[in-house]
Formats: sequence, structure tokens, C-alpha cells
Amino acid sequence: MRRTVLDNSQDEEEGINLTPMLDVVFIMLIFFIVTASFVKEAGIDVLRPDAKTAINKKNANILVAISSKNEIWIDRQKVDKQAVRGQIERLHAENPEGSVLIQADRDSQSETLLAVMAAAREAKVGVSISAVAD
Amino acid sequence: MARRVDNLSQIMAQADEEAEIDLTPMLDVVFIMLIFFIVTASFLREFGVDATKPPSVQQSQTDAKSIAVKIYSSGEITIDGLSIDPRAVSAQITRRKAENPDAGLAVLAGKRAKTALVVGVVDSARDAGFRSDPIPISELNE
Repeated sequence: MRRTVLDNSQDEEEGINLTPMLDVVFIMLIFFIVTASFVKEAGIDVLRPDAKTAINKKNANILVAISSKNEIWIDRQKVDKQAVRGQIERLHAENPEGSVLIQADRDSQSETLLAVMAAAREAKVGVSISAVAD
Repeated sequence: MARRVDNLSQIMAQADEEAEIDLTPMLDVVFIMLIFFIVTASFLREFGVDATKPPSVQQSQTDAKSIAVKIYSSGEITIDGLSIDPRAVSAQITRRKAENPDAGLAVLAGKRAKTALVVGVVDSARDAGFRSDPIPISELNE
């Protein structure tokens, strides 16, 4: 007799009201969809130069990295100097609001940096150079 | 409808049953989407300084009024021919800008000049008040 009473009360609790959880899950889902920017990482880690006037770049989503050995990396691939412009144009077409952010290693040479900047200029995309704000 | 309904209350009962949709498959899909978007979210926080490379036509004709900061491959920095310590660049640009408020600024970098120096000069120029426009960087013919 006691047993059946217990079972009954458990049965009732099984029907949990999912509505508040669903609300939360939906809000989280919409938040993550909206904030998703699908940035294509350059693929290598560089030692950024310091700059105290550096400002947060929110719409820089075309990342071009230059390693200390002057290799250019875009979208996890090593790119030839001549192919940089094409790659920037392709990424710009995918995301027209973005601008180029060059992640140049502090030991890279300005020749490569200027080549990437020239490529971005030809592709008519704004450029900024990544730095560590201190 | 297979079952015959006799009266209104039976119809109501059936409608009530059908109103309880099974949410489980939708919940599964929503959760999978949620996890996908959480995993792909990157929250990129990048800091940088604006710069531009003027078209090569402008390169040689440096405006007489503008402050030309030259960074040689050796690491030497000169402003209008005067050799300057990297830490003093900001002060020098500030002084020259005070003397001639309309002056523009041009950064010329040698082929093998280190990026750290170039960004340092751009930073100094921004610090000295050239903030509104991207700093132009061109090649320096050594």
C-alpha cells in the first residue's frame, strides 16, 4: 500500500515542466548564432609587437600572419607572396564587412609586411597591424 | 478518424491529447545546434594599429612639409636626416607637429627593417597625435 503511494508521487514528478529550460536554451542558442563570426584563424602563433595606442579591432576578420621567417599564413595555409591578394579577395567576398588584420611577428621584415599591405590595398580592404596593447 | 466520437466531451479530450506535442526530437536538435555554436564561437579579441600603404606613385614625392620617419634595415631611425633613438621618436614627432601643425607624416621602412621597429614608429606617431587617419608606410630605397 505504501509502495503504491510512493510510486504515484514519483510518476507525477517525472513530468517536469521543461518550458523554462527551453526558454534558456533558446536564448543561449540565439546568442551564439548572433555572435558567431566564423573567423578563419591564420594558423600560426606570432609574437606581436607592443603598441600602447593599439585599439580593439572588432571587425578585423581576415587574419594574415607573418612568421619570424617571413612566411605568410592565411586560413591555416602557407601562402605565396603573389597569392596573398587572391586569398584576401576571396575572404573579403565571403565577409564583405571585415578588414584585414596583419599578425606580423616582431622579428619579421618589413618587406613582407609591406607586400601584404600592398595586396590588401589592391583588394580595397582596410588594414591594421596586430599589436599587444600594454 | 478511426474512433467514433459520441459527444462533445470526448472530442475535447482528444484535442487535449493531441495538444501535447513530443518535444524531445526538437530539444535534441536545439541542443546539438547550441553545442555547435558554443564550440565554433571564437570571441576574437585582437588589438591593432591602423596603417596603409600608399600607391607606389606617391612614394618618391615626399611632401616637403611632411615629417618623414625613415627606418633603415640596420635598425637606425632618422627623422629628416637626424638619427634618433627609438624611444625618442614620439617626442620628436610631437615637437615637429607642434612646429608645423599641418604637417603630414610618412613612414619609410627599409626592406629588412624589423616589424617591431615599424610598429613602434607607427605607435609613436599615433601617440604624437596622428590618430585620425591610418599611418602610411612605404618602402625606403636604401
